[in-house]
Amino acid sequence: MNSGWLLFERLILRPLLREPVRTALTVFAVALGVGVVIAIDLAGQAAAGSFHSSLESLTGKDDLLISNTGGIDQNLLGRLVQLPYAFRFSPRIEKFAFLNGKGEALPFIGLDLISSDAQDEIRPGALSHAADLLTTGDPVWVGSRLGLHKGDHVRLLINDALHDFTVAGVLKPQNGEIGEENVIVADIGLAQKATGKTGKLDSIGVRVPPGQTLGFWTDYLRKQLPSSLSVEPQGARTEENRKMLAAFRWNLRILSYIALVVGAFLIYNTISISVVRRRNEIGIVRALGADRRLITFAFLAEALFFGVVGSAIGLVIGRAMAVGAVGLIGNTVQALYVSSQPAPIEFTALGVLTAVGLGLAVSLLAALAPAFEASRVAPVEAMARGREEYVAAVRSRVMVAWAIILLAVGAGLTNLPPVHRQPIFAYIAVLFLIAGTSAIIPSVVALFAGTASSLLERLIGVEALLAMRSLRGSIGRTSILTAALAIAVAMTASVGIMVGSFRETVSLWMNDQLRADLYLRPAGLSAIDQHPTMSLEIAEQIAKLPGVSAVDRFRAYPITYQGLPATLAGTDTTFETSASTKFLPGENRDQILRRLSAGDYAVVSEPFANKHNVHTGSVLTLPLARAERRFTVLGVYYDYAAESGYIVVDWNTLMRYLPDPEVSNLAVYVKPSEDITAVRRQIDGIIGGRAVLVFSNATLRAGAIATFDRTFRITYALEAVAVIVAVMGIAGALLAMVIDRRREFALLRFLGAAKPQIRRIILCEAGLLGLLANGIGLLLGTALSLILIFVINKQSFGWTIQFHWPVPLLLAALTGIYLATVLAGLYPGQTAVRMNPIEVIHEE
Amino acid sequence: MALLEVRNVSKVYRTQSAPVAALRNVSLTVDCGEFVALVGKSGGGKSTLLNLCGAMDFPTAGEVLIDGQATSNLSDAALTRLRRERVGFIFQSFQLLHTLTAVENVELPLLLARTPNARTIARERLYRVEMEEYADRFPHQLSGGQQQRVAIARALVHDPKLLLADEPTGNLDTATGETVLALLTRAAHDFEVALIMATHSNENVALADRVLQLRDGRLEHTAVLR
Ligand SMILES: Nc1ncnc2c1ncn2[C@@H]1O[C@H](COP(=O)(O)OP(=O)(O)OP(=O)(O)O)[C@@H](O)[C@H]1O
Ligand SMILES: [Mg+2]
Repeated sequence: MNSGWLLFERLILRPLLREPVRTALTVFAVALGVGVVIAIDLAGQAAAGSFHSSLESLTGKDDLLISNTGGIDQNLLGRLVQLPYAFRFSPRIEKFAFLNGKGEALPFIGLDLISSDAQDEIRPGALSHAADLLTTGDPVWVGSRLGLHKGDHVRLLINDALHDFTVAGVLKPQNGEIGEENVIVADIGLAQKATGKTGKLDSIGVRVPPGQTLGFWTDYLRKQLPSSLSVEPQGARTEENRKMLAAFRWNLRILSYIALVVGAFLIYNTISISVVRRRNEIGIVRALGADRRLITFAFLAEALFFGVVGSAIGLVIGRAMAVGAVGLIGNTVQALYVSSQPAPIEFTALGVLTAVGLGLAVSLLAALAPAFEASRVAPVEAMARGREEYVAAVRSRVMVAWAIILLAVGAGLTNLPPVHRQPIFAYIAVLFLIAGTSAIIPSVVALFAGTASSLLERLIGVEALLAMRSLRGSIGRTSILTAALAIAVAMTASVGIMVGSFRETVSLWMNDQLRADLYLRPAGLSAIDQHPTMSLEIAEQIAKLPGVSAVDRFRAYPITYQGLPATLAGTDTTFETSASTKFLPGENRDQILRRLSAGDYAVVSEPFANKHNVHTGSVLTLPLARAERRFTVLGVYYDYAAESGYIVVDWNTLMRYLPDPEVSNLAVYVKPSEDITAVRRQIDGIIGGRAVLVFSNATLRAGAIATFDRTFRITYALEAVAVIVAVMGIAGALLAMVIDRRREFALLRFLGAAKPQIRRIILCEAGLLGLLANGIGLLLGTALSLILIFVINKQSFGWTIQFHWPVPLLLAALTGIYLATVLAGLYPGQTAVRMNPIEVIHEE
Repeated sequence: MALLEVRNVSKVYRTQSAPVAALRNVSLTVDCGEFVALVGKSGGGKSTLLNLCGAMDFPTAGEVLIDGQATSNLSDAALTRLRRERVGFIFQSFQLLHTLTAVENVELPLLLARTPNARTIARERLYRVEMEEYADRFPHQLSGGQQQRVAIARALVHDPKLLLADEPTGNLDTATGETVLALLTRAAHDFEVALIMATHSNENVALADRVLQLRDGRLEHTAVLR
């Protein structure tokens, strides 16, 4: 057998297997770190993958897509077919529907099923004999996941009305394509009728003739069509959605790396313990002829062992965790960005390689320093008696100097602008702050041990003294553990503060913004990118109610601006109702509102302004109603409803270009003298059988906050994992400590220590570690939260967030972490108690 | 009543191979203030017997009574209390905690027992072993002899009645060993502590009241010197 392997087996593997619990803890810490990275990658991919529009998988062959804000006039199709080239056009209606008015938003798609073109475009079998079936009552074809059968009757909520259909067939899932398993397909005519888009199309798919490039045909069609129509390659919208989600996914990814960083500290600790314990052995092997390279490799191999085994298990864990993560990320995406259907979770070779590569790289990097230290052990140390203490050369002055430099550079980096809309420098600043804090930790530990020692001894007793001395005696080990846990705590605290501040900001903003008494919108789940409409009469009749002082109409269209999704909206900008809108500092609200209705003016939301670098005075060019229209930006207002951002124009301006008076939302102001409940009853009467929901001010806010909380669950889950990794590391390190200090514990038994006292010493150490880490973590976390709030968030999402301490949340989180840390001392404590003092003393 | 009574004690260690009989049917009594030397070849069972006498371990057969209490019947908490009050240990390799100063090492048993005025008592004991000026030094700043003196102060700090020393001079050169031994016997005398000492050294034996010889776990020979 290979002698390298033999050496590895004897010098590295065997000692590891002799301490199975500790080895398992380290392996599992790496596995969790890698697993989280994989889970977030897989789940993010699945969430993004689901934007693959259902149409793409149904009709995949189209090359180009023609679309228009507010829809395309059906007559355009007649003009298009007269073009002197062999194009094939397939008109489409795209809408979302809700089965029985409840549950997830299902893509409702209208296609021309009668034309022979469409017949062979759609997969054979799935819609065979479609034409025959069109004669039966309102037929639809449904995706397999909906659990419906041919002949079933379905009731679908589309806009504000329920429609009845008959299932004419079930679409069979085809070679793993995504998106179509919950789609509902109808003939174009029926779809137009059901969605209220008679005479209109949402888009026209184009198949181009061979012989020229796609770019050529795109230009050709653009020249032939009014400039307000967009001609894009099929899939461009998916690309836009992916781009929109990029920042969100990046931030999630970065969060998922934290557990790995914490894992790195633990690997470093584990390898350091190995090196320290085996100095004697290393000396012997060196004296027997091993060179330095071999020693370095041996310890790197140990790290590699943790990396390989941990990553392998991490793959399995990650795949399992991804299932939960998809749900959580899906929630966020749905609430903040776009209606999505979770796609199946699929391992991609690149994703797996990245995660495993990261796991290995982190393990090896973490082991470099201790492995190098091992290689410097001189052969003469074979003669020295094995020293079991953990001697880390802590040159605290040098470390403090480094800390100051790192912290200063980190602080400086936060002033740099984003790169390609990514807060790259801010992320690097976070790393610098973490490194700087880690460098200062040994000095803090020494200071703490020096000052708090006697106080704790008086409070707790001799156990605290012994615990404190041992922490100080092995300051290197203590510092690493403190750093690992402090980072986990800091991340938890910073994200907690960020989310808490965000929540408070949103809640304050809603207090300002939501002044109406009642809000109306079509039933079904609300989402950022869907704007179902309500009948015109509703708004008109409500306005006539004697108890109503004002009604704000709101109509929104999803648009694309500079390659990113956004929302164009028109609203009533009467002074009384819009006075609550808050503009950025320095802007005159009254003046803005007065001018807004006077012409082609717009206001934009803060995220939109930041994303597209738009300011007061900028001119936005929007393709509307057959021409490019230019809108001058009058102001930028605070908004926390959609990250993609809003362009808001006056209602009359919108009607001039898109004269469709149906509304997406209504805000109703009740006269102060009137009873809201009574007015609400009258409104219910006006709504009649239509599926429109009425919310009171309070319910709407509560709903928004509930959505907000759902949105951030994934971040809490990620932090929890980082904390678990850190706590496992503490448990493992305490276990190693118990083994290294067994002589001390045995002696204490001889000197009259009871078993509970021994246990208490170890719990004390865990508690002190937890205390230090929580303290340092909270400080670091506060600093990081400032970066998160004022730099990272601003640069990636464009939101202004007010700083706010979420005290109960922080208290609960830190207490939880502290308790977990102390509990991590239980098993090592038990191990210490179970050791036989006589045998231990005898070993000497 | 005798301070320590060992009645027909046997000790068998279970190992992977054959069981090892470390003590076979040993009986002895020790009175207050007595100095008993335990001699015999290596592996004879001296350390085993000391551990049984200090209630750190239990006999396989027979019983050990300290102040009339049979150790086998006591709970771990009661045994701990017994050790805290009655027994002091001294080891061949000193066994000081390297993270604690000399005086902190000495006061440790008192702190563990939550006795008040620990520091004052500890300083007084250090004075007895002529180590008061080294009170604030850490063990690695002390010589072997000095360390063993600190260990003696520690063993006496809680006024035990029984002092168990396992080759206390084994790690010291002859001269230092003699000084430490003199100090130990004098202190034992001053505090009226019974001292049982396992030893290989003839000088040590000469100072004892009684010498017990252990061979292959059996008490072979008892010599009364005084
Ligand atoms: N934990 C144990 N497990 C198995 N056998 C043991 C154990 N402790 C001691 N022994 C055996 O019991 C016998 C007596 O050992 P003990 O340590 O009492 O001898 P000793 O007289 O103190 O020797 P020395 O003078 O070398 O210290 C020896 O044969 C030893 O191998
Ligand atoms: Mg012995």
